[in-house]
Amino acid sequence: MEKVLYRDARNYVPIDVIKGIDHLTGQTVMADKEAPKDYEAMPKCKNCNSFKAEGEQMGICEGSMSDPKFFAYPDMVAVTCEMYANK
Amino acid sequence: MAKKLKEVLADAGISMDLQSGGKAPEMMVDREVKRAPHPRVKKLKDIYMDTLSSANDEFTYWYTREYMMHDSEIPVIRRAKALKTAFAHSTPAIYPGELLVMRKASYFRGSFPMPWLSEGFYMAHEDEFYQEALKRGSASVDEHSKFGQGGGNVTKSFGKVVSIAGKFGVRQEEIPAMLKLAKMWYGKSVDDLGNKYEKMVPEYKTKEQIMRSIICMFDSGYTLPQGREVINYYYPLEYGFDGIIKMAEELKAKVAGKADGDGMVGMNRLYNYEAVIIATQGLQKWVNNYAKEARRLDKITKDPKQKEEYKGIAERLEWIEHNPPRTFIEAFQMIETIHLAVLNEDAISGMSPGRMGQVLYPYFEQDIEAGRITEDEVLELLELDRVAKTSIDCFASTGVVGGVLSGNTFNNLCVGGLDKDGQSAVNRLEYLILEAGITMAMPQPTLSVLYDEKLPEDFLMLAMEVIKCGTGYPAFMNSRTAQEFLTKQYGVEGMNLEDVRAWAIGGCLETSPGVWKPLHLNGKEYWIPGGAGQPTSVGVHFISMPKVLELTLFNGVDPRTGEKVYEPHNKKLGTYEEVWEQFKLYWQKTCEVLALTNNIQHDIWRKNNMAVINSYLKPDCLDKGHLINELGYRYNGTFSVESAGTITLVNSLAALKKLVYDDKEVSLKTMKEAIKDNFGFKDAREVNSFSLADQEIREDAADKWEKLHFKALQAPKYGNDEKYVDDILLAWENFFCEDATKYESLYGFKMYPCQISVSTHGPMGSATLATPDGRLSGTTFADASMSAFPGTDRNGPYALLNSAATWDQAKSQNSQLNIKIHPTATRGIEGSKKLLDLTRAYMRKGGFHIQYNIVDSKVLQDAQKNPRNYRDLMVRVAGFTQYWVEIGKAVQDELIARTEYEGV
Repeated sequence: MEKVLYRDARNYVPIDVIKGIDHLTGQTVMADKEAPKDYEAMPKCKNCNSFKAEGEQMGICEGSMSDPKFFAYPDMVAVTCEMYANK
Repeated sequence: MAKKLKEVLADAGISMDLQSGGKAPEMMVDREVKRAPHPRVKKLKDIYMDTLSSANDEFTYWYTREYMMHDSEIPVIRRAKALKTAFAHSTPAIYPGELLVMRKASYFRGSFPMPWLSEGFYMAHEDEFYQEALKRGSASVDEHSKFGQGGGNVTKSFGKVVSIAGKFGVRQEEIPAMLKLAKMWYGKSVDDLGNKYEKMVPEYKTKEQIMRSIICMFDSGYTLPQGREVINYYYPLEYGFDGIIKMAEELKAKVAGKADGDGMVGMNRLYNYEAVIIATQGLQKWVNNYAKEARRLDKITKDPKQKEEYKGIAERLEWIEHNPPRTFIEAFQMIETIHLAVLNEDAISGMSPGRMGQVLYPYFEQDIEAGRITEDEVLELLELDRVAKTSIDCFASTGVVGGVLSGNTFNNLCVGGLDKDGQSAVNRLEYLILEAGITMAMPQPTLSVLYDEKLPEDFLMLAMEVIKCGTGYPAFMNSRTAQEFLTKQYGVEGMNLEDVRAWAIGGCLETSPGVWKPLHLNGKEYWIPGGAGQPTSVGVHFISMPKVLELTLFNGVDPRTGEKVYEPHNKKLGTYEEVWEQFKLYWQKTCEVLALTNNIQHDIWRKNNMAVINSYLKPDCLDKGHLINELGYRYNGTFSVESAGTITLVNSLAALKKLVYDDKEVSLKTMKEAIKDNFGFKDAREVNSFSLADQEIREDAADKWEKLHFKALQAPKYGNDEKYVDDILLAWENFFCEDATKYESLYGFKMYPCQISVSTHGPMGSATLATPDGRLSGTTFADASMSAFPGTDRNGPYALLNSAATWDQAKSQNSQLNIKIHPTATRGIEGSKKLLDLTRAYMRKGGFHIQYNIVDSKVLQDAQKNPRNYRDLMVRVAGFTQYWVEIGKAVQDELIARTEYEGV
């Protein structure tokens, strides 16, 4: 299983840009620290089938209805995206 | 070591000891009243206190993505679709211990940019967009505005966090998308389009100069285009979201294809109702996403109590997603949701809950009677609301959020006032609201008492107890004065006596119109108040009165920048009357140009960025089928001309009159030289203190100006019940209150005067040279509009009240008077009674607003030196309460220097 940072973990809720709460333990944790091994990844564009990377922090959302396709960025949370599909 | 002004004066036997009416104890004295919140609330507050202001791209991204897809759609539909998509895709963030949920963005203290309003200010300073904003003058004030260096402000980038506008932390990973999104709005935002068309105003160049010289603080139409108003929760409470959609569907069918005699906008009703439906569906999805998250958390949580709470949250959200609330907690959740929804619709400060205790009272009364809730549980919810409201941030430029708002968002909660039938509107829930202000001392919602002689004495005494917490709230606003103003301003729109009584404060101090609506709960009817007016504090923003005087003296040229702002008047200014007349002409030129250019900005806003959600909440949009942009609100004459630096101007005029014209002690030429040379002192920014007493004399100046400066400081000063200077205030108010009505808003109504400083007295002082009253270059102006300049009110508080009440305050939307009192002066029941007597005396004289900082100045001095020890310290600035550490130094210095009353 790949390493997951807290900020990329499903059960992490950010308080601010550097820290958040681990819903499984109730503890405040640092966003950029590694989460325990079995932690589920947060749906983010970078984990989505429809995301096509273009450059370092940029890409295209193939699921977009726009013409041309609208951009997307890898770090965006996609829990509410109806088109999200795990890679 | 350069000598400070206070040392120079001490050598001359004059003390700048700014205590009046006695001597403060040597020891630091803490505030008298302190109580603790419920444990769960304390935990959430602790999270807040260690939280950074954070922003992300999510709402911005989805809004832009949807909006850009519909370029051939009718603007209101395009906007509604963009809002729907943005709300529907906002990631829910629920924190353990919360009972009332939902956030602006997926952070505890989150916000996001709205490049559809303005995008230049958060670009890198070398970026062409930012440079363009500087040229226009819309970013000039950023250079004079500073955030407090502590608290949650991200003033510098660090690690993987980028500081934006000196306040907001954004993850590095979000920056490329943030900039890409901003650039997509270039030429399309309200700021850019507004600028394209405001340039067609013949005197646009003067406007640019006015902004660059910081005569005016900021533009109106794209910065905070809504707010300083009272929200209306009635429709969602009475009908629920499904009911609103059903109503809009029925009305849509009724108006489709019909002009009904209105050939201009009658047909638009169809699109407006459709927009209401689309936007409401977005809100429902947003609520639903939170409900799903609560269900998910229930599943993964082991703690049985927390599981139950998540379940309860989910059930309440699932209910209010469709239906009107049935209980107090459901109604509270509904209004929290609506409040945040409106704040996400636009860049807004001052969206006030208004008379929330009267809105929620029906649910409170019935739940208490039925035993469904206890008063202690209600108190806990009110405390939780204080954490939620304090966590509300508004993403805007440094000049706006730092220079004007001091990071505050002014969610003003009003208690008291009169009911529909003219009796005291105080209820039991409002006692608990005041109590929560003590137990959960946080800046938001700030509290205001709508004072009337009919309010119960024990209620007023409780309000005094709250003030003695030192939180700077509740403020006291005079119902009688406000009602006179409302009748005068809104009579033309049909305001009757009942509606007059429904008023409340929008923002920090803005008298805002309201209406009564009948709420039905379990067969019982209650008349609840709510907002019914457009935003206030829009139109002509904050004109620096001392700066206009400066340009009067210097023939239309800004001596700081060397740029010509106004056409030279080429007058000799041989008499005081000539100065006064010329000052008024430059003032009028400023208002005239700014009214025209800001009208254009607001007109672009109403065409492309109109409020849909906030609009349909406000009577009578749903009835009429017209939103804010088509005069759907019941009251639309809400635009104003805002003044700043009143007392610094009045003192300056008094000094000029006395020294130059009446006593002829100095020529105008010499006075101007002294002003340009800053009376021989260094500039405040060089000294890094914005308080007069701390200014340092320049070595090269020796005693060149000492005598004149001394005379300027000794000239008559406002706040001492002295006719010489109070008559100047009266002349100004009589002119201003009449003159403001000469400018017309884009909605076709006369403007009115608005007299609040918010935090503008800091940056505006920073951009103004020394003034004839002896104030030195760069130092902060007098606070608010009726507060005395620090250390100049030496005849006690009642003399100050007399000076302030010189003029008819009902002619203005507001006025502001803040007083600093040492805690020992209000100790015990006797102290509370004295404070109430003082307040009442001012209200009886027709004063509109008074508020107190009950704090030992030594505490403030220590807090400035050791901010880490004072994260929790709150103070009153102008019309709001804020954490000391989040306020810029210029305003902190003024607060420290302000006269401390040792007795009332």
